[in-house]
Amino acid sequence: MRSALRWLPGIALLAALIAGLEWAVDAGLIRRALMPPPSAIGAALWDLLASGEFAEPLFATLRLVFAGFAIGSALGIAAGVAMGWWPAMYRLLEPLVELLRPIPKAALVPALMLFLGIGEAMKITSVALAVFFPVLVNTLQGVRGVDSVMLDAGRTHGWGTTHVLRHLVLPASLPFILAGMRVALGLALVLAVLAEMLSGQGGLGFLILDMQRSFQVRLMYAWLVILAVVGLALNTLFLLAERRALHWQPANRP
Amino acid sequence: MIGQLRNASGIGLVLGLLLLWEASARLGWVASPNWPPVSAVLAALLRDVMTGEIPTLVGGTLWRMAAGLFAGGLAGVVVGLGFALLPFVARLFAPVVELLRPIPVPAVIPPLVLFLGLDNTMKVTVVALTVFFPVLTNTVQGVRAVEADALAMGRTFGIGALRRVVFIVLPASLPYILAGFRVALALALVVTVVAEMIAGEQGVGHYLVMMQFAGRAEEIYATVLLLGVLGYALNRAFLLVERRMIHWWFALGRQSAA
Repeated sequence: MRSALRWLPGIALLAALIAGLEWAVDAGLIRRALMPPPSAIGAALWDLLASGEFAEPLFATLRLVFAGFAIGSALGIAAGVAMGWWPAMYRLLEPLVELLRPIPKAALVPALMLFLGIGEAMKITSVALAVFFPVLVNTLQGVRGVDSVMLDAGRTHGWGTTHVLRHLVLPASLPFILAGMRVALGLALVLAVLAEMLSGQGGLGFLILDMQRSFQVRLMYAWLVILAVVGLALNTLFLLAERRALHWQPANRP
Repeated sequence: MIGQLRNASGIGLVLGLLLLWEASARLGWVASPNWPPVSAVLAALLRDVMTGEIPTLVGGTLWRMAAGLFAGGLAGVVVGLGFALLPFVARLFAPVVELLRPIPVPAVIPPLVLFLGLDNTMKVTVVALTVFFPVLTNTVQGVRAVEADALAMGRTFGIGALRRVVFIVLPASLPYILAGFRVALALALVVTVVAEMIAGEQGVGHYLVMMQFAGRAEEIYATVLLLGVLGYALNRAFLLVERRMIHWWFALGRQSAA
């Protein structure tokens, strides 16, 4: 209750901004062709939601994000654990990773389109590539930071390598892994939207660009609102999941 | 010398993969116009650099990136100081900021095109928007980490509020602010290229898309390679500047702030 009151001024400002925008457009201060009144965008948004038209593009984009995120995270964690645990693996892969990491993944989209066309495979690969490196780097950092006393304790109990990795190293480096995955989730959405825009087909990203190019400005803003909500929801859900998974950390204890 | 030998396996792997790339293209194991040998890619890079085509494009891209970095960074520091020092300002503006933050950058390009057109203004604005958020977050963190004693001492010496901000708060939070800028720098280069790819006819991004339409694989790989080197060099250069600007932070035995 108190926290709700705390944010009251901010929410009031938001409402005032939207009302001000409505007034400015009505008064002719902003051209309707560029910025339709928020009420008109709201009506367009309502039409998309009520008719169910929003579902297909939304799920197309979400499918890309989830598939690419899952593949990129799984590979990133596997490579990070291998490099963090076996020094020989680190020496083998480190130069390659350092060479590939600074390449902007967005610039790889045109190259991937040559090979994989403009379909799902290209888009999921783009997303997975963007996710892979931050997850890898954070996993590596987490695995290297595992308390050596814990490792000794595991060895004293006669645990094998698989058991140590599964029950000790992975849980202990989970905070780092999840932090990397949180950054990667934002990147995944960016790459999914970009790949849709450049390939000229698919979900939300394509629609936003397409509506702008065909001057259906109200619909452009309506889809943009849906995409913003997706971004906000993904981030919030991940934070909640992260807090649940790390409930044993002191900072998360009630 | 021993350190170099220790890394031999890794460098061997990189060289082996490059060799495999070259062989697979030359010997027709991968028979595709999209798979030129690595030597042809390097030759294309050299050719396009020598003709001056690539340097001009890269120069334009870097200029837009720098302008966006400056504008967005300045706004991020100023708003961050406001958020951290005046709680009411934070409560007033935080909901607006938090609603805008999760929008994926490429998606703000179409509406900005409507307002600002296809050229520099739009691209610089997109970059500035991208840079704004990490710098803002880090500035707020940095100001919160300023030691209370330092501020109390300033007050004891009768230093005015504004001068305290400029001479105590800003320098003390600089390590955090710079860490935010380093994150922002990597984003800025990518986003400049993305904006160029989606709209307008400028810079490296547009060149990439053109080469893709023309099916010129060598040029595409050469450009991607160049962007990788550029990103790496920018990060290295920034680390050097950071070390110089906040040598006291490292002298205290602290690591980079983020």
